Amino acid sequence: MLSAMQRRSFPSLTVFLILVVAGLAACERRGGCTGENCGTIIDAAVAEPGTLLPPSSEDIVANDIDEQLFLKLADVGMSENTLGDEDFQPLLAQKWEWDGPLTLVFHLDPRARWQDGQPVTAADVEFTFNAYNDSVVASPFRPKLHRIASVTQRDSLTAVFRFRERYPEMFYDAVYHMRILPAHKLRPVPRDQWRTAPFGREPVGDGPYRFVRWQPAQSIELVADSTFFLGRPGIRRLIWRFTPNLQVAVQQAIADEADVREQLVTPENVERARAAKQLAIYTYRGNVYTFLSFNQRAPDDTTKPHPIFADREVRRALAMAVDRASMVKSALGDLAKVPPGPMSALLWIWDPDIRQLPYDTAQANRILNARGWRDHDGDGVRDKDGQPLAFHMLFPTTSVLRRQYALLLQEQFRAIGVRAEVDAVEGAVVNQRVATGKFDTAILSRSNDPSPSSGIAQSWTRAGFGGSNFGRYDNPAFERLVDRAVTTTRRDQARALWRAAMETLNADAPGIFLYALDNVAAVHKRVDNVQLRPDSWAAVLRTWRIPPDRLIDRDRVER
Amino acid sequence: MGAAWLLRRLLASVAIIFAVVTFVFILIHVAPGRPCPETVERAVCEELKRQFGLDRPLPEQYWRYLVALAHGNMGNSYANGRPVRAAIAGTIPFTLQLAGAALVLDFLLGLGLGIYQAVRVNRIPDVVLGNVTLFIYSLPTFWLALLLLLAFGEKLRWFPVGGASDPVLCPVVHSLFCVADRLWHTVLPAATLGLVGAAGTARFQRAAMLEVARQDYVRTARAKGLPERRVVLRHQLRNALLSFVTRFGLAFPFLLTGAVLIETIFAWPGMGRLAFDAILLRDYPVVTGTALIASVVVVAGNLLADILVGLADPRLRVRAPTDVEVVTA
Repeated sequence: MLSAMQRRSFPSLTVFLILVVAGLAACERRGGCTGENCGTIIDAAVAEPGTLLPPSSEDIVANDIDEQLFLKLADVGMSENTLGDEDFQPLLAQKWEWDGPLTLVFHLDPRARWQDGQPVTAADVEFTFNAYNDSVVASPFRPKLHRIASVTQRDSLTAVFRFRERYPEMFYDAVYHMRILPAHKLRPVPRDQWRTAPFGREPVGDGPYRFVRWQPAQSIELVADSTFFLGRPGIRRLIWRFTPNLQVAVQQAIADEADVREQLVTPENVERARAAKQLAIYTYRGNVYTFLSFNQRAPDDTTKPHPIFADREVRRALAMAVDRASMVKSALGDLAKVPPGPMSALLWIWDPDIRQLPYDTAQANRILNARGWRDHDGDGVRDKDGQPLAFHMLFPTTSVLRRQYALLLQEQFRAIGVRAEVDAVEGAVVNQRVATGKFDTAILSRSNDPSPSSGIAQSWTRAGFGGSNFGRYDNPAFERLVDRAVTTTRRDQARALWRAAMETLNADAPGIFLYALDNVAAVHKRVDNVQLRPDSWAAVLRTWRIPPDRLIDRDRVER
Repeated sequence: MGAAWLLRRLLASVAIIFAVVTFVFILIHVAPGRPCPETVERAVCEELKRQFGLDRPLPEQYWRYLVALAHGNMGNSYANGRPVRAAIAGTIPFTLQLAGAALVLDFLLGLGLGIYQAVRVNRIPDVVLGNVTLFIYSLPTFWLALLLLLAFGEKLRWFPVGGASDPVLCPVVHSLFCVADRLWHTVLPAATLGLVGAAGTARFQRAAMLEVARQDYVRTARAKGLPERRVVLRHQLRNALLSFVTRFGLAFPFLLTGAVLIETIFAWPGMGRLAFDAILLRDYPVVTGTALIASVVVVAGNLLADILVGLADPRLRVRAPTDVEVVTA
């Protein structure tokens, strides 16, 4: 710490304070860790988790921290393949086998221990499934487990999963959504109190890191479990430092006050991070796509069709009026791609050759004319039966990118005689309005988990009504294709079916799929073996390391 | 000013705080938005709202809140389940540290500059400082914060760009080093708040000094041949400080509202950031709790200022008989 301070220039007005700090620092015990498995990594996080209890923690930062504390039975590999079980990596489960078409048997690793010394047992697995499925716990992961009928324990180290039906992602559903919980710690806590349970702020896990402390609004600190049964983690200490927004987080990484900023998001941030000498830049596939959603139901009465967007041809015309490729280029440069449907680049069904509506303003004008939307009164805005072709675009004030896109869209719609008003409101208000159908259009972002099945079904089929299908898109032909794609066991057949489904959806234009961001991370150059799994950058954090010759002061500090 | 006056003021203060809490409670509950993230399904959100008691009629929710409040219970945060009292208590030391440092800078610098300008009125230093203070006073606080962050944090790296302490060395203040480290982290946010405040205080103080300079007792002091330093410090400044005490009371709302922005920009874990995050998340108990504490602080600050003015100014302290002329200094 002393030498870090010595590197700074000293302003004359603060010389006294510096001398005091430096003097006191000299009295402080200097760190002694100098070999392998030393190192401290500080992540500049953009939010603070509400709780670290996995079924109740739906935010991204909580997930990143829980990755280090609570193990799954197995996890997807770097390939992100979710079909079958061949690409999955064992974690708590040492091995598994199929006992008939609907029964999956996991054999737990006998070396696995909770950090209070208790063994991890099949009773924990059974307890975990029941907890995730309890409506009182109100877990956001519950809908993803509906095809698992039961989980039971055959003996203390054998857990048996029984499914309601056979499908290719059975294994994925069994392992991906649940982190195994310590039944002996949580059984006494009433389920309706889990969100406020002290366990969520001082968890006892079975992962590669132990919880050390949580300083509200400041940081969470974890320390490596040197006895972790899958191998000692490479980094000794992990600290998540909470910042109120992305800009502050990026600034901390640039100012060398943090080692990791896993998503830089904008080209400006990437440029600033590139200019920082101590940072290395890593690009990996993004798991988010952003789109303009058309509400097909009237905002004031969701039982009635929307006066504009219930008409498929009008939606198609609007989609054709938008030059998405140029917008991505001008707003995001190389940091994003135009998605070929409602998907991020994370999904294995991503295929740029999926047929999409072309950018064709002449055709858009022809369609609108044919549907009776003409500028009868010469005010520059098309109208029909006295109603102008005008609508509102909703987006959260906090998103600079979406604001930029809203203005670009507004201009492109104006060029074909359509008036789009921009409605920038708070995130909480956007959430409420889209959830209750009180919007015309909204610029929304969706994150995918590695499987196309659950996310696409929830957002674009009738199963998502009242859920995340905010625009109430409904096409039975699309749903049949999705159903077939989800149940097809061969990957090439599934890919073809997904492609057909996406082309059906694109032809209906339930939204305009604007951009899918690539993730760009900034990581301190002294960190080695940096691997970022696209669906969860911190999933393999335990394999990162800092070579002894690159340790800096904060790596060596001992408690 | 007397016991009856104090009692009246205290009762009025309680009424004001009650009105603020009621207003904020109603406002945040009727404001659009839901206390669930976008990713949470509607059914899950409804279950959470049931657990939070938000499915009950608003008057019932308000009554329950008041009853709990009367028992010292401010409820639990929707976002993290922590008791609101504990969440606020955890942030108050940080806000006090920031506001205290800003207040010291504000008053010491502002007072010094105001006096310096007043004794050099209409000369070059007065004109230059007058324009500089006007410029700083006109700056939006958040803009100055970003400017200082960019210059002294990101580019020059003289000061930390955020947080209240070094997360590696000082997870808890356990040594003098960490005390110094916390002061080190306070410099930029306190400077932002303090500089803007000092600019205002300087202009205020200059005007007060010049007002007093025209009084007979100052002229008399000079006529008696007292040294200029004594005239300024003993006669002029002492009387001009009355307006300064009033400004002390007004500083609390400024510091609290400024802290919301500054704590957010500097990732400072104070009450302002807690309130800001709570508003965005529609964390109703935390919003109402922070409003309650903020209103108590502002009302108490103003009450304290009134008492201090009363103590410092005999004209307010002495209830004069109507037929007796009050002799002032």
